[in-house]
Amino acid sequence: MRLRSAIAGVLLCLSIAGPAQAEPAAVDAAALARIAQPPLGLPPVPLPADNPPSAAKIALGRKLFFDRRLSHNGTMSCAMCHVPEQGFTNNELATPIGVEGRGLRRNAPTILNVAYQKRLFHDGRETALETQVISPLLAPDEMANPSIGYVIDKIAGLPDYAGLFERAFGAGPAIGRLGQAIASWERSLLAADASFDRWYYGGEAAALGERQRQGYDLFIGKAGCAQCHPVGEDAALFTDGAFHNTGLGYHADEVAARTTAPVPVEIAPGRTVMVDRKAVESVGLPRLTDLGRHEVTLDPADLWRFKTPSLRNVALTAPYMHDGSLRSLEAVVRFYDRGAVPHEALDPMIRPLGLGEDEIAALVAFLESLTSVDVGALIADARSAPVGN
Amino acid sequence: MTRTLLALCGLTLVLALGGSPALADETCQSPYMAKITGQEEYVYVWTLGVQGLGDGSDKLVTVDVRPGSSSYGKVVASTSVGGRHEAHHGGLTDDRRQLWVSGLDTSKIFIFDVAADPGKPKLVKTIDDFEKASGGVVGPHGAYALPGRMLISGLSNNKDHGGRTALVEYSNEGKHIATHWMPTAEDSNGAKIESVADGYGYDARVLPRKNVMLSTSFTGWSNYMMDFGKMLQDADAMKRFGQTAVLWDFHARTPKKVFHVPGAPLEVRWAWGPRNNYAFTTTALTSQLWLIYEDEAGEWQAKAVADIGDPSKIPLPVDISLSADDSLLWIDSFMDGTVRAFDVSDPHQPKQVYEKVIGKQLNMVSQSWDGERLYFTTSLLANWDKKGADNEQFVKAYDWDGTELKHRFSIDFNEAGLGRPHIMRFGAKSLYSN
Repeated sequence: MRLRSAIAGVLLCLSIAGPAQAEPAAVDAAALARIAQPPLGLPPVPLPADNPPSAAKIALGRKLFFDRRLSHNGTMSCAMCHVPEQGFTNNELATPIGVEGRGLRRNAPTILNVAYQKRLFHDGRETALETQVISPLLAPDEMANPSIGYVIDKIAGLPDYAGLFERAFGAGPAIGRLGQAIASWERSLLAADASFDRWYYGGEAAALGERQRQGYDLFIGKAGCAQCHPVGEDAALFTDGAFHNTGLGYHADEVAARTTAPVPVEIAPGRTVMVDRKAVESVGLPRLTDLGRHEVTLDPADLWRFKTPSLRNVALTAPYMHDGSLRSLEAVVRFYDRGAVPHEALDPMIRPLGLGEDEIAALVAFLESLTSVDVGALIADARSAPVGN
Repeated sequence: MTRTLLALCGLTLVLALGGSPALADETCQSPYMAKITGQEEYVYVWTLGVQGLGDGSDKLVTVDVRPGSSSYGKVVASTSVGGRHEAHHGGLTDDRRQLWVSGLDTSKIFIFDVAADPGKPKLVKTIDDFEKASGGVVGPHGAYALPGRMLISGLSNNKDHGGRTALVEYSNEGKHIATHWMPTAEDSNGAKIESVADGYGYDARVLPRKNVMLSTSFTGWSNYMMDFGKMLQDADAMKRFGQTAVLWDFHARTPKKVFHVPGAPLEVRWAWGPRNNYAFTTTALTSQLWLIYEDEAGEWQAKAVADIGDPSKIPLPVDISLSADDSLLWIDSFMDGTVRAFDVSDPHQPKQVYEKVIGKQLNMVSQSWDGERLYFTTSLLANWDKKGADNEQFVKAYDWDGTELKHRFSIDFNEAGLGRPHIMRFGAKSLYSN
């Protein structure tokens, strides 16, 4: 029921072009159309009743997303960690870097298809896209603003924002409206219609090659991937939205943190030296533990549990896992093939898989078939906004 | 134009009298820049603020180095610019009346008047739209004097905070003139590429009589702002270091050749001798000394000519200073806090002739034109500096007698509540009085 009314709202917005008088720009109209009719393989977009999308909101949200002035010292925009050309994440870092170079503990997740996520962040601490933005705006290691009021005052004083909130909402800048605008644009970043979708949902028998089909069979069968990354009858998000313990967090906090082994450092392509760990530690801050979902619920059962990511467009979003510690899809498949990190609290669904080399290759090939044909258009959409300096 | 001519005349005079004890400017500066024709009187130290230390802001600190002065070896002025910007490098304009210093983080450029009162520089202008004016360049690094203008080498960009960047030119009045993006494989701009073209930047310096400019390559904002220990353990981040040096047609501002110099080549030093057609650079990660030279056929080449310390331990050579007679090259390495002197009389076969530990960490070195005085600072980058007790922050001055460095004075920047000292530039009242 909620979905139906939401879709009706989108169509209504399309028909009257939102509260703005002018025709929406083509890029905004296309974004609205994606929300109204998601690409093949995706379900209808859930929309909050109090924030139906409009061209004006989408345009404003996009502009805000790329504005570095939204950080305290003008260096960080949302897009510095969710780089369009890098799968709307950051392929160059295991974990992102915030204001003044402060390091984050967790890998930047892609915002492609974020419209469907019921819980945001790796630990699921936020429940709505509209309010998710508040956390990075204020986090000292992200955008480091001193207060929400500071951010709103700053935006209200920028000449290039004059009238934009009013056009989108009929009222001036406020944190709620800022969140609604950014969420509206993010909700339009829908990326499916991949080779897999054309094969599975579109009935194009030739869309997947034999190796990829073999990978799919393993995915839903022997390898058991679909237990946490399910494929639906009419659509697939490739995530159960739940929290699981793969042992990676346990290993980082309880095993790797105590090692004294030298650190391999690649000083030039193909040239790696082993550096004394004490030398590395002399120039580094102590590593912070990451207890995952437990940090939200305080439930011991949630120790080192992290949210299952979608696998759509996964070939574009390296490095992988909540800490960016695995650099390739093959490394991820091998990680699960050996049963992840066995320990007492390991998710019971995880076990050694006994995959052969050809099966590992087939699984990787299947994962690569989940890349949307629409990503280029989404990058162009994103880059239609100037970088705010 | 008049100022430029005067600067060039000064340079000619200096070259003609090279080695005379009457001359005492720092080496390694732009050949287009006026020279100090006597003892340096002040050392300007661009200093990075530290949260919780003093006012926490970046500041230009002035140290009195006038022999016989009652405040010799002491801080005589300190001007905060407000906030932390990742204070790093800077340089003097060709007329030497302004010192431009910049922030790698916020991309602001602070312009100080050092002529009105060389003992107390005054902040007269802040360029705060560098990214916008330059078309997306982040991290203004060097500020290198050209006739009537400043050449700013960028380190990053505002689209992804990676290493793709550009050279940017400003007028001495602070107006943006041009942006020259570094060549890449996709957009080589006519350059011959030896192996790769990463588009990264770091230093850029000119050899006017050959009409060539040489630029080097470091890394982007994400890496240079990141905790160093974290970065060394991030295999993806370690993939993002420069491995090129670019030779440019200086007048045309077009790249001619992209050399393969893996391991993050940093500072560039052209030789001073009129027939010495070569430059040195050092690679930070691979700890090698490289020579970029014109061969007998007139072709420019690049080759590694020496290791610096034990490369397997990553001593991290960071700054170099070439003596005015091109015979001695000082190399600071950060991790072991050591300065090494290489005899580079034969640039193809450098030989280490001296080394000394200056502190627990070491970054910049500046030497006087006569080679008799050296100054050192400690800070590399805010989040790369050592932690805890190893985080020494000082300016130290030494005399060089040809065989030994002899300590003159030290200023503890932690104890003084100043911050992390980085680039040094020399000043003198004599520049403006005759």
